[in-house]
Amino acid sequence: MIAQGTDATTLDGHLYTDSPTASIMEHMIETLFSFEPDGRIVPKLATSYTASADGRTWTIKLRSGIRFHDGTPFNAEAVKFNLDRVLDPATRAAFRFLIDRVTEVTAVDDTTVRIVTNAPFAPMIAHLAHSGTGIQSPTAIRRLGADYSRSPVGTGLFKFREWVRGDRVVMTRNDDYWGEKAYLDEVTFRAIPEDGTRVLALEGGAVHVAVRVPPRDIERLEKVAGIRVDNTSSLRTIFVAFNTQRPPFNDKRVRQAINYAVNKRAIVGTSSPPTGALAGTARISDAPIAPNVQGYTSTMTYEWDMDKAKALLAEAGHGRGLSFTMHHPTGRYVRDAEIAAGIQALLRRVGVEARLVTMEFGTYVATIRGPKAIDEIQMGMLGWGCITGDADYGLYALFHSTQWPPNFNTAFYKNPRVDALLDQGRTTMDQSARDRIYKEAMKIIMDDAPWLFLHSESQVTGVRATVQGLIVHPTERMVAHRAWIRR
Amino acid sequence: MWSYIAKRLLLAVPVIIGVAFIVFAMVRLIPGDPAMVIAGQAATPEYIAAIREDMGLDRPLLVQFGLYFKNLAVGDLGRSIRSKAPVTEEIWARLPNTFRLATASMLVAASVGVGAGIVSAIRPYSLLDAAVMVAALAGLSMPIFWSGLMMILVFSVILGWFPAFGTGSLAHLVLPSVTLGMTSAAIIARMTRSSMLEVLRTDYIRTARAKGQVERVVIGSHAFRNALIPVITVIGLQTGTLLSGAVLTESVFAWPGVGRLLVEGILTRDYPVVQGSVLVVAFVFVFVNLAVDILYAVADPRIHYT
Repeated sequence: MIAQGTDATTLDGHLYTDSPTASIMEHMIETLFSFEPDGRIVPKLATSYTASADGRTWTIKLRSGIRFHDGTPFNAEAVKFNLDRVLDPATRAAFRFLIDRVTEVTAVDDTTVRIVTNAPFAPMIAHLAHSGTGIQSPTAIRRLGADYSRSPVGTGLFKFREWVRGDRVVMTRNDDYWGEKAYLDEVTFRAIPEDGTRVLALEGGAVHVAVRVPPRDIERLEKVAGIRVDNTSSLRTIFVAFNTQRPPFNDKRVRQAINYAVNKRAIVGTSSPPTGALAGTARISDAPIAPNVQGYTSTMTYEWDMDKAKALLAEAGHGRGLSFTMHHPTGRYVRDAEIAAGIQALLRRVGVEARLVTMEFGTYVATIRGPKAIDEIQMGMLGWGCITGDADYGLYALFHSTQWPPNFNTAFYKNPRVDALLDQGRTTMDQSARDRIYKEAMKIIMDDAPWLFLHSESQVTGVRATVQGLIVHPTERMVAHRAWIRR
Repeated sequence: MWSYIAKRLLLAVPVIIGVAFIVFAMVRLIPGDPAMVIAGQAATPEYIAAIREDMGLDRPLLVQFGLYFKNLAVGDLGRSIRSKAPVTEEIWARLPNTFRLATASMLVAASVGVGAGIVSAIRPYSLLDAAVMVAALAGLSMPIFWSGLMMILVFSVILGWFPAFGTGSLAHLVLPSVTLGMTSAAIIARMTRSSMLEVLRTDYIRTARAKGQVERVVIGSHAFRNALIPVITVIGLQTGTLLSGAVLTESVFAWPGVGRLLVEGILTRDYPVVQGSVLVVAFVFVFVNLAVDILYAVADPRIHYT
């Protein structure tokens, strides 16, 4: 029994947008490829693939002899049906953009699918590993229509049993699974929104797993007998974007000075026993993307150096001080408001006054991506979960100059060299060549400092000691595929 | 009586329309683009535009308002933007839970409150009275999210008597209903006490005692029945408080009711869900008020409705 903060929003694998729902769906519905916790992408419902020399045609071989939970055979037609459904704008699939370069999906024979894209697109296979492109039973979707979102049918290790709205989703083991079967008879995801209740439910033994343990409870919980606290890195990077198009942050020296002035160790709390806003549950960013993302290399960090910060500020003509506003959300990322206040206090020590503008997330995201953001926002905190596990998704959307708001380049960053590299990374098929390209791009980005680089978040999960084999995936999913309970 | 009820029901119509109007305006006054919130982190501008179109947010406000009322007239509350399911279905799935919680809490509040109030009134200014009143003050002052967690800690984690969260058996109902009922019990106790004290000082009580009537009858039928009117009023008003308190209680105890649906709706800017939930709560509130007024007549034969 796994306790999450929210209930499933929908059980249609193509329609949800949130990770608590994704956790549930991935027990029932499988993808062509799978994104392993260590960052590798391996075939799942597929067995192999080949890409044409021009990088536009992908031929994917499928496993044979698999059936959906309702008995419908899994084959190339089913894959075509699903990908076409995601691609159809009327479906309103949130993750359509992952494969929106696809122009044609063809079922060549029963176990072969051909996908054609309008331009070479290297992250294709990584995107087919995202659960938003999961393969669901065409029969069930056709038969149930809108009601399908209440009774999903996939090929996964567990079969759907019941969904009590706002309370729980229950799944039972699929005894006809095509591979090694699951150990657990049943998996239940319960929605317990209140952090305190979730932790208490774990302590009382009512649930086996509690996600998102608040930092304040970690130390106490670690001492409770029969419970362990897992700290797993996530693919979510937290940063504060500078508006690089307007003063004072159109000057690289000012941006670097702020990076030097903020002591990330104090925020993350790397001392022992852990202190700081995050109680040691995060990792200081040494690149714009988190480790475990394909294409990541440790690039550099701005070590805390107040003298260097002051010197850079003086050089930029702000020797007598500087003031600006910093927008940030509250309640969205782990301790976001506390971190913003910490940044404010650290900046004050180098003569910089940051006025904080705190907003509820819904309001916040509309403001920083709004039409007037370029004139209104000087600095804004944001997090980016690189959900595909591929550097393209973690860099292109955030640093390419075509991606200014309403897209997600909230720093209004523009560097022709970075643009060119990111375009290359997208169209180069050879992974080691891509790694080199991203390495160079990240080096330029770190030096240009369009962000105040902060940290990548950790997922703190409370688990009963009897639970074995549970995977807390970097994509913020709970995976109980191979879990069991020790008696 | 029946004409009175009919009149009151008719009067409820403008109230509900007013609420519908206010809710419509209110959710649109919350800053932030709901389409952007719903679309999630990764959404492209095209996807956000499509969502906006689905929600009808691309249309002029007046048109949105017209459509909303037209659908409302036929009982259509729209579809949830997040789950894509009809709002009526989302609410129906949760309403029984909220009713169960509210009813149980009301039972707790009324029995504990009235009982404590009478006990206090019989021995005014005694140690017992002071103790009950201090307990009432404490019950009134404790915020639900705190007292709720304490209840879970003591009765679920330490003693293991009741489940900490969720629905299912009757045992699931105990902690949330006691937590939620406590605040109202405190208010009802205070009201019962003062109302009883007032009645106990009247001449007819002295007469009853002078007649040699047993104390149990004096308190139980002479005094209590007459002290009941203000108590019923308070209980009726508390029903509203219970419904709004349910929002917090349902979150703390992971109780899948309308209150939590409302909170999640607000957080995700799910306009149709927010509108629908508030309307339903308003509906219930109007009818509870009517029921309270009718109960007056039952408790006090001097009250007639024409």
